[in-house]
Amino acid sequence: MITYALKRLAIAVPTLLLLIVISFLLMHSAPGGPFTSERELPPEVLANLNAKYGLDQPLWRQIATYVWSIVSDFDFGPSFVYKDRSVNEIIAQGFPITLTYGLLSFAVAVVVGVSLGVAAAIRHNSALDYIAVGVSIGAQVLPNFVMAPILVLVFTLWLGWLPGGGWQGPEYWIMPVIALSTSFMASIARITRSSMLEVLTSNHIRTARAKGLPERRVILRHALKPAMLPVISYLGPAFVAMITGSVVVDIYFSTGGIGKAFVDSALNRDYAVMMGVTILIGALTIFFNLMVDLLYGWIDPKIRY
Amino acid sequence: MKMFKTLATSALALSFALQAQAADVPDDVTLAEDQTYTFWLLDAIKSMDPQINTDVEGSDVLRNLFEGLYNENGNGELVPGVALDHEVSEDGKTYTFNLREDAKWSSGEPVTAQDFVYAWRRLANPATASEYAWYMELMQVENASAVVAGEMEPDQLGVTAVDEHTLEVRITNPLPYFPQMLVHASTFPVPQSVIEANGDDWTDVGTLVGNGAYTLTTHQLGERVVMDKNDTYWDSENTVIEQLTALTINDVNQALTRYLAGELDRVDIPAGQYPRLKEEYPDQAVSTPYNCSYIYMLNVGEKGPEALKDVRVRKALAYAIDRDIIVDRILQGGQRGAYNWTHWAIADFERPELDWADDMDQAQRVERAKELMAEAGYGPDNPLDLTLQYNTSEDHKKIAIAASQMLKQINVNVTLDNYEWKIHTDRMQNQDFDMARYAWCGDYNEASTYLDLMTSYSGHNNGEFFNDAYDQVMQDSKTAEDPLPLYQEAETILAEEMPIIPIYHYANVDMISDDIAGLPENNVNNTWYGKDIYRVAE
Amino acid sequence: MVSTTENTIATEALPARGRSPWADARRRFLRNKAAMMGLVILVFVALFAIFGGWAAQWSNEELDYNVMGQVAELGGPSFATGHYFGTDDLGRDLFARTVQGTQISLAVGVVGAFIACIVGTLYGATAGYVGGRTDGIMMRVVDIFMAVPYMFVLILLLVMYGRSITILFAGIGLISWMEMARIVRGQTLSLKGREFVEAARATGVAAPIIILRHIVPNLLGVIAVYATLLVPLMILTESFISFLGLGIQEPLTSLGALISEGAGTIAYGTTWQLGFPLLFFCLTLFGFFFVGDGLRDALDPKDR
Repeated sequence: MITYALKRLAIAVPTLLLLIVISFLLMHSAPGGPFTSERELPPEVLANLNAKYGLDQPLWRQIATYVWSIVSDFDFGPSFVYKDRSVNEIIAQGFPITLTYGLLSFAVAVVVGVSLGVAAAIRHNSALDYIAVGVSIGAQVLPNFVMAPILVLVFTLWLGWLPGGGWQGPEYWIMPVIALSTSFMASIARITRSSMLEVLTSNHIRTARAKGLPERRVILRHALKPAMLPVISYLGPAFVAMITGSVVVDIYFSTGGIGKAFVDSALNRDYAVMMGVTILIGALTIFFNLMVDLLYGWIDPKIRY
Repeated sequence: MKMFKTLATSALALSFALQAQAADVPDDVTLAEDQTYTFWLLDAIKSMDPQINTDVEGSDVLRNLFEGLYNENGNGELVPGVALDHEVSEDGKTYTFNLREDAKWSSGEPVTAQDFVYAWRRLANPATASEYAWYMELMQVENASAVVAGEMEPDQLGVTAVDEHTLEVRITNPLPYFPQMLVHASTFPVPQSVIEANGDDWTDVGTLVGNGAYTLTTHQLGERVVMDKNDTYWDSENTVIEQLTALTINDVNQALTRYLAGELDRVDIPAGQYPRLKEEYPDQAVSTPYNCSYIYMLNVGEKGPEALKDVRVRKALAYAIDRDIIVDRILQGGQRGAYNWTHWAIADFERPELDWADDMDQAQRVERAKELMAEAGYGPDNPLDLTLQYNTSEDHKKIAIAASQMLKQINVNVTLDNYEWKIHTDRMQNQDFDMARYAWCGDYNEASTYLDLMTSYSGHNNGEFFNDAYDQVMQDSKTAEDPLPLYQEAETILAEEMPIIPIYHYANVDMISDDIAGLPENNVNNTWYGKDIYRVAE
Repeated sequence: MVSTTENTIATEALPARGRSPWADARRRFLRNKAAMMGLVILVFVALFAIFGGWAAQWSNEELDYNVMGQVAELGGPSFATGHYFGTDDLGRDLFARTVQGTQISLAVGVVGAFIACIVGTLYGATAGYVGGRTDGIMMRVVDIFMAVPYMFVLILLLVMYGRSITILFAGIGLISWMEMARIVRGQTLSLKGREFVEAARATGVAAPIIILRHIVPNLLGVIAVYATLLVPLMILTESFISFLGLGIQEPLTSLGALISEGAGTIAYGTTWQLGFPLLFFCLTLFGFFFVGDGLRDALDPKDR
């Protein structure tokens, strides 16, 4: 399994390279550049700007220089728009924020989602089941950009319990985590329930029950593990979707995370920031998918790598 | 637009307000215990470097961290900043500024004329690659163009430190509003030793050294900026507000909610909400004229559609749009419908009599528009197809939708084309549009800032309206004793040729906490300083 | 694992008894109340999308000048004005716009999910079944695609080529097949070790037939559940794109665009602008969820 993991990590390098090249080309073929502004810049100023940021070089050389400075110095270059900051600084500031509320949301989504799903499956067709299904469906269909302003309206304006945005301490984390985790929690609950139901009717559980094992033991020891397989498969895409959701969180709760930086960089043509964030998210996704795969293999040893 | 709101130079008349003070607190006012002020930023601050910053929100912050030669008061008049006063030479081309001796950097060092020389050279220096380098050219500082182009060394720039506290500036042409241009953030002094020691990182918290009334204590990108009162500031004794906080909130509705929850002292009011808020909070909702005009630019150039080369069509388009509906039913924030280009509140400007604005009501205008369209050969059986391009914004979208419906009644089928700002700008600069939403914010409080834009030699005339008579009028106005008649003539030409469809003149529509005083009330560029503000005890 | 043999026998014994598994499934589906309710909801939403326009008294782009500017006071839902669902901020009829938004959202969801399911299932099942080097390469390709922050690419595409429905369809559909492929592959891997597959292989059945006959049918439950998760996901993705202001061009609209407009102005007393589009949004998604669950219960041959 270690060889497998190493192999996967080795493949990450060409993946990231490809990602860099694709993003670079896409970005540069979009109309408008980082210095497109309403007052057309005098040619000499534009030339100076282009020279400063290396945009006067042929594209292949720009890519090569870029990759080299990452490899040699782990330097993602200066931001084109936030001019007194480097991409490293922007990520160093924004990423811990995104990571904090992202991990919290992830934990909440998994723990609550799985518990709810298992409970619903065990009491299949009971009131609890219907409530759990109803709640999770309701939660799943409410887009987070609807939930976010409602949360602020209720908890900030009406009740005055929580700050309406910003990132100064744990009380600022609550609404972002609720807004981000709810729909994933609901999805995980549904998947868990559905998969648990399947496992519970499978023969090995019947066998276990027939042996007279206590129900609790049957569920925790025999049913939960196989039932987690589809949930684990879902975690990879959920992770990517969560990054998307962080854009909404950043916009509505002014957290200063990288989700907003990501969208802004595309709209502002801030090539350096957009490349930096893309690579970061790409690398994270690769790492995360690897973890999911390893977890999958650990749970179902029949999978051969 | 946004970018140019910062070119703040207000009243043309160089009248110093009597008091060169910070917060002007009347004697009968009891100050609140909590002297903090929290304001709203739509976006993250792009740069804290005065010579690099390009946008209005950055300038709002910079005016508190740094201080230039002059400041503006609540009426847009100049008041002394680092400069106490100045003398102008006979030919109007040499300015000598006398700097105050008690001005200090937050590090305790004195602010000297040399600091300005350094900053100005830095702005023009190609190595700085400032997007605002052209501001030196706009100010007509001697050799600015050559320095920006890299043909001369930065030390050839026409600015010299005569001694520690005397700054001399040489400009190429007499420029009556030159002192007003010095309010702009890109002319602020910067500390040479700090920049040289720290490079691009000099604006970091803890490193940044300024000469303004506040110092930077926190800057969390896209979250907040906190500035504390600077005790080394020459007038810190009279500075009342202890702490300024700028919160970034990317959503205008969200900002308003948080204002109502008491988290902010000032926010913009979203379109359509002013009447309701005015009724509910009469002391907090305010609307003041703001130095920008909103238009639809028509592409009359070579790449433009044939139909728009016909003045009858252009006029019909302008006539068919009901401005009252746009300002009274969509924006509802005290904006004014526009029938001409220059903002109505511009000092010493008066719109000429225009038949379509003054002698017709909207029904007559629509009638006339239909006739004009028929004359041009368009009718119900032969409708005109045009695209209307706008950049992403809820307000632009609403206005564009309304306009497209209004134009339908004169048999124009409008396709809406919404682009991101960068593409919108790029397409306009490449004449890739039929009609495009455009707005201009005056660089200073004088009509030429608008009217110059439509000359054939202006860099902004994206619709390629080239008219010799117009160019001539504008050139004559530069040397005229009283330029108003010429400005009016220019506006008349615009109304006759209609290369742009005026839509409305902007207003600043804000919610301001009722215990906050000292914000400018009569400043079309809305230039404000934290040191002028104070919070009244309730 | 004695049980799997029984399972195989059961599955293959069914046709012999003259009852196809599909007829069986249909019977089970029809008996499922939640699923039938979901189906009714979906039929209702579809009818609304197709025929709702005829019931509207206003077109979706006409401005009602009587209402405009006083939408909070006069623009509410009313039979008197003919605005059954009220109006938007410009005085446009929200009923007509909701009809139109439902059409677009349904189209985006169904087409997107369809593309994702077909591509994803075939790709994932093939990779999982064939295994070895092919699987390695195929899944690396998926990894590469999945490591691309697709929302970003979609944003770039929409920014570059302007907003077109085609780009939205293709973009959203092609984003999600990777998820599907991974899920299906994961399931295939665990199915592959089962005796009934090994038995089929031992008797010399060709790989494509094993995939289509033995693997895919056993995955249908999962596919159905994920497909129903995908349609809402597509619709949600579209709504996110609309939220960023990159969605369908005006005067066209989608439920996502309407909701995002309505959510922004939620504090201003025009709650119908959020309420009605959100109602249809939720109904659509509920419908797909219930039907999907019903399908799962009905199609899964093990669930008896």
